[in-house]
Amino acid sequence: MILIVDDRPENLFSLKTLLQLHRFEVDTAASGEEALRKILRHDYALIILDVQMPGMDGYEVAENITGYSKSRDIPILFLSAVNIDKRFITRGYESGGVDYITKPFDPELLLLKVKTFYRLSEQQKALNEAHATLEQKVAERTAELVRTNEALEASNAELQQYAYLASHDLQEPLRKIMTFSSLVAERFLSDRPEAGTYVKRIIASSERMRNLINDLLEYSRISGNTQFMPTDLNQLLQEALSDLEVAIREKEVQVHSSNLPTADVIPGQIRQLFQNLLSNAIKFTRLGVRPQIEVRGEKVSSLSLDAQPAAGGNYLRLSVTDNGIGFNEAYLQKIFVLFQRLNGREEYAGTGLGLAIVKKIVDRHHGLVGARSREGEGACFIVVLPLQQQSPPAISR
Amino acid sequence: MAQTITFLLVDDDIDDTFLFREVLNDVAPHIHLRTAANGQEAIETLNTLHTEGSPLPDLIFLDLNMPRMDGKQCLGLLKESQVLHQIPVIMYTTSSHSRDIEETMQKGAISFITKPSHVSDLKAILGSLAANVRHNLRPTLRTLSETQNTFIVC
Repeated sequence: MILIVDDRPENLFSLKTLLQLHRFEVDTAASGEEALRKILRHDYALIILDVQMPGMDGYEVAENITGYSKSRDIPILFLSAVNIDKRFITRGYESGGVDYITKPFDPELLLLKVKTFYRLSEQQKALNEAHATLEQKVAERTAELVRTNEALEASNAELQQYAYLASHDLQEPLRKIMTFSSLVAERFLSDRPEAGTYVKRIIASSERMRNLINDLLEYSRISGNTQFMPTDLNQLLQEALSDLEVAIREKEVQVHSSNLPTADVIPGQIRQLFQNLLSNAIKFTRLGVRPQIEVRGEKVSSLSLDAQPAAGGNYLRLSVTDNGIGFNEAYLQKIFVLFQRLNGREEYAGTGLGLAIVKKIVDRHHGLVGARSREGEGACFIVVLPLQQQSPPAISR
Repeated sequence: MAQTITFLLVDDDIDDTFLFREVLNDVAPHIHLRTAANGQEAIETLNTLHTEGSPLPDLIFLDLNMPRMDGKQCLGLLKESQVLHQIPVIMYTTSSHSRDIEETMQKGAISFITKPSHVSDLKAILGSLAANVRHNLRPTLRTLSETQNTFIVC
C-alpha cells in the first residue's frame, strides 16, 4: 500500500485516483502528524510526501520516519510545487528521501518512478523477512546444537566415570590373582621349577593386563575436569625422569635436557606426556649402541611442527630425540592411535596406549604432536603447545 | 619382657585380611594382629580396649572403601579422639588416587600404602614396619618409599 501525505484534499484526490487507476492500494494523510500515526499502525511500501505543510513539514516527517526501525526502509518520494530550489531538493535527500519530484509533474514519469520504488520496497521487505527467518533458524539451530552438545558432554562424562569405575573394579580381582599366585609360588613351588614357571607366566600375564587397565584408566582420565596452571616444565621433566630412574640406570641411558620455560599446563598430564615419550625412548634402544636421549624446548612463533624459533613466541616446541631403533615414517599416522603397535610384544613390552595418551594430552592442551624418524636411525617426537591457555589459570604451583 | 606389639587392620576384604595375616606371620610372628571389618567396628574395638584398660594397638592399617563407616570417616574420628589420636595410622587401600592421598595425609595419616600385587612387596613393607614400629616410623617409611615408590607415600 502507498501512503500519500498532503495537506490539500484536491492534491490527495488527484494522486490517489491516478495510482488507483493503476491498481495500487492507496491510503492518505492530510498532515505530517496523521502520517506518522498511520505509519505506526500500517505497513506501507512507499510514501509520497508533500514538502510544504502547516505544522510538521515534509522534511520533519521524513526524519521521523527514518528514525523508527519499523519504517526505516520505506522509500520516501518528495513532491513539491513550491520548494523547487536546489537546496530544498538537497535537504529532501538528506532527510531520507529517495527522490524529489517537482510540480508540475508528468503523470507517466511519476508512475514509472512509483512502480520502480514500489518494487524495490517489496524486494527489500522480502529480503528483510528472509533475513529474519534465517536469523531465527540460525538461533534455533544454535540452541539445538547447544542442547546436543550438553547432552554429549553429559554422556561423555558418564562414560569416563564408567571407564574409571570399570577399570578400578577390574584391577581388584587381578591384584588378587597376582598376590595369591605369588603366594603359591613362594610357599609351595620353590622345589618344583616347572610349576613355578607356569605360575610366573600367570603373574606376567596379569601384570600385562594390569598395565593395560592402568593405561586405559589414564586415557579415560585425560579429558576430565582439570585446570591449567602456570607450571615450570623443568620440574615436571625431573619428576618424570626420577620415575624412570631404575630403567635409565639399567640401560645406562644418557639424558640431556635444555632449560624449559613455564607454561599453562595440566601438570599431571604433562608429567605423563614426558614419561611416555621418555619411556618409549628408553624402551626402543638399538643393540650395541649406548642409548642417548635429548629433551629440548624452544619458543616458536606459531602452532606448527616446523615453526621458526622466536624468543617472544607464544608457543613452546618440545622435542624428545633418541638414537634407538626408530621407525618407518610410513607408519606415522598409526603410532598415535589406540592399541597400535609397530613392534612385536615379545621384543618390546607395552600396551599400545603410550602415544595415544600423549596425543590425547596434547589435544587437551590445544597443541600439536608429530614425529620424525627413519628405521635404525633414532626417532624424534615433537610436541608444540601454547604457552598460555584460554581458561583462567589457577594458583601457581 | 617387652610388651606385645599389636597391629590393627581395618579392612572389609577377607582375602586381603588373610594375606596380611599370613605375611605378617611370616615376617614378624611375634606381632599380634587384630582385625575389624569396617570403621565403626574399629572405633568400637578401640573404645572397648581403652575402657578395659588394655593396651591400644601400636599401628593401625586403614582401608578406604568399606561399608558402614569408610576409612576417611574413621580416620577423622580417630584424629579427633583425645585417646586414640596418637596411634599412628597408615592408609592401606587399592586406591592410588592423588586426591585420596592428599586428603588422608592432611587428616593425619602418616603414610599411604597402595595394596601391593606381589607377596614379596607386602613382605618387605611389613618386615620393615614390624622392625621399627616402636621407634620413629617416618624414616622407615621414607626408606621404603625409595625402594618401593609405586606403593608408598610419606
